Amino acid sequence: MQFQRGDKIEVYKKSKDEAWELYMDDFVGSHGIITDPDTTINDPDALIEVSLDGKGTHRLPQDSLKPVDQP
Amino acid sequence: MAEKTCPVRKTVIYLSEQIASGLLTDPKGRRISEQILHLTEEIAEGAGGAKHLSAIDSLIEEYFDDKSPLQNRDTGKILKGIINKHREVFVSHVETKNCPSHDCGKLAPSPCQMACPAGIDIPTYLSLIAEGKDAQAIEVIRRDNPFPWVCGLICTRPCEMMCVRARIDTPVAIKFLKAFAAERAMSDRAYKNPGKKDFNGKKVCVVGAGPGGLSAAYYLAMMGYGVKVIEALPVPGGMIMVGIPRYRLPREVIDREVAMIEELGVQISYNTRFGKDITFKELKLEGYNAFFIAIGAHKAWDMGIKGEKKFPKVIDAVKFLKDVALGDHHAPGKHVVVIGGGNVAIDAARTSLRLGAQKVSIAYRRSRTQMPADIEEVEQAEEEGIEFAFLTIPKEIVGENDMITGLDCVKAELIKKKGSDRLAPVPILGKDFTIKADAVISAIGQYVDHEGMQAFDQMNWTRRGTIEVNHASMETTMPGVFAAGDAVSGPATVIEAIGGGKRAAEAIDRHLNNIPQPRMPKLPIRYNIESPIEISASRKMTLKHPEMPMLNVDRRRTMFQQVELGYDEESVRKEAARCLRCDICRRCGKCVEVCRDKMGIDALEFGYMDFDNPTQTDFRATSEKCITCGACAANCENKAIVIEETDGQRMLKLCGTILNKQDIQYCEECNAILPSIEYLQFISQKTGNVTKAIENRLLCNNCQRKLSAKINVETRPVNLK
Repeated sequence: MQFQRGDKIEVYKKSKDEAWELYMDDFVGSHGIITDPDTTINDPDALIEVSLDGKGTHRLPQDSLKPVDQP
Repeated sequence: MAEKTCPVRKTVIYLSEQIASGLLTDPKGRRISEQILHLTEEIAEGAGGAKHLSAIDSLIEEYFDDKSPLQNRDTGKILKGIINKHREVFVSHVETKNCPSHDCGKLAPSPCQMACPAGIDIPTYLSLIAEGKDAQAIEVIRRDNPFPWVCGLICTRPCEMMCVRARIDTPVAIKFLKAFAAERAMSDRAYKNPGKKDFNGKKVCVVGAGPGGLSAAYYLAMMGYGVKVIEALPVPGGMIMVGIPRYRLPREVIDREVAMIEELGVQISYNTRFGKDITFKELKLEGYNAFFIAIGAHKAWDMGIKGEKKFPKVIDAVKFLKDVALGDHHAPGKHVVVIGGGNVAIDAARTSLRLGAQKVSIAYRRSRTQMPADIEEVEQAEEEGIEFAFLTIPKEIVGENDMITGLDCVKAELIKKKGSDRLAPVPILGKDFTIKADAVISAIGQYVDHEGMQAFDQMNWTRRGTIEVNHASMETTMPGVFAAGDAVSGPATVIEAIGGGKRAAEAIDRHLNNIPQPRMPKLPIRYNIESPIEISASRKMTLKHPEMPMLNVDRRRTMFQQVELGYDEESVRKEAARCLRCDICRRCGKCVEVCRDKMGIDALEFGYMDFDNPTQTDFRATSEKCITCGACAANCENKAIVIEETDGQRMLKLCGTILNKQDIQYCEECNAILPSIEYLQFISQKTGNVTKAIENRLLCNNCQRKLSAKINVETRPVNLK
């Protein structure tokens, strides 16, 4: 999935990426907005900045995210 | 109770239920429970102090006194279990006054503050700006970010992405309001450093004078540490100085804010490359107790196309922008092609134009909608005459002798590759073409330069080539060495680097004082809750996001003058007043439910309260249906929605927005204050013919009862027979 700035997402699973830290387990199930996608080379492996509702802004591996369907 | 309920709230509920149940029959146990409940309620309301938790610990121990009955010991065990497991959350509530789960309603944070990687208390400073208190606003911002002016001009503003006002119309222009306040405070000579602690005898070395390094330096200096910053460049600011062009961020803005940091005693050694001009060993001998690495990501990726290494006029954008920032103002060529789709590509293109290039094109292999650059930057580039070649894959840089003549490209189409739902650009056979060029600038990304870092031999690097840290503390795998910014995240945002620098400063302080590091990044601190500004519902709804005045295009194509000219003062004050004050209203929706489902009135059209599926919001609609019954206000834990009676008027307000305003009516018999006529009619409908005889008169309950009794005695006497 390619994420764009402003996309609504859900952290739907833990990532096996080395960048996934233990405290991020608390984010699973949270909804949020992509605030800074991979800004240079559209790399699916890049960590992207996500603002999670009530959890703050973090850089997460993309494989932990899925888009939230808009109505 | 749900497992995810905040443990502070969980403790309040547990103790309240225990006390109410009457099960705590031992007077001593009951007294201890009441005292712990009182202290925990204060923590849940943001009134907890540094000694609250130790006081609770001591009280819990009293449950286990020798003669205590089993019920006391059981209660003590349960409370001890909750507090030991979640001590960090209790401490966080006391220190930050922030409950991210929203369970402790008064501490529910605003989405903008939670979105800010530096955790700036946005609603507080917007309120201050709305009131014209710019210097105070800057003081609030600098508690979390020592670069309010810089960020006011170039921040990627995740806060605005989460701004709740956007669910009604457009987000509040948080970024630029900050720039206005900083400029005004600086101009008024009111932009001041807060008092710093005395020198504590310990020294920290910061490698890199970018936003991350200088932020760490600022907070460490404030805590009383001696701070020296090692910088390879002859100027401060790192990427914000040499990577962001002056038409977006004037150099003076950086200089002025860096000067404020130097004023605290921070020493910056320019033209000093770590590992070359000064070594780790030498610095250790100088007595530095901890190191903070914020070297950024200054190396450009190669494009990997033919001709890339053949011509001197193939330049990487990072070097190009740096050379221009340091004074080389020669145009790269007459026909410049920039390869890439991010902000750096746009910056390189717009800079080339200002240096005199006749034609500048950006070649990007995907489509416009997939360009990662800020939409405003793309639009401004188009206004200035930059051309975009989308779905264009560069193949080869061609030329004669040392001179470039063009960039051979092939047209692409976006196709989902097997096993992926991601659209990838794929060349279309036979669709080759050449873009005329005499200079090619590559802007396809940067990485961290490891050169000179070998001295940190116990420090791990990630597979992405960045420094491995624990993000809660920004501590590397080498004891006493911390890192943040692009060196950790890869090329990212300025505000992330600032947030990381601040977090690292706190972690270095903990490290040097043998305090354990936190499990997860610290939550933003809610410093204050400013009183909301009173404003009418129609004004709140009709205030519009102002247009940014821009420099004229001719000047933009020729000079490095700042493009965004900034709002005037009136626009700034109005824009700040658009803030919905989400630090007071946590958008639980209870008011809407009570009004609609319990009272059957449905006067609150607050569609913005739904994060995922917002519907229509109109504060003006409330006055059409509202009967000022007060049910919404009575059910608002945060007192975000209130009923106030002043100067002969009754007002229903949501965070200062007047939703309904009525003249107060008085009892015709005794002059007591009455509910609204609409409310009396509502009650009258509910009570039917009981009040029929007095329905046309304005009477209080007392007088109504007396009159009803009189009428009943006269017309319906009880027949005792």
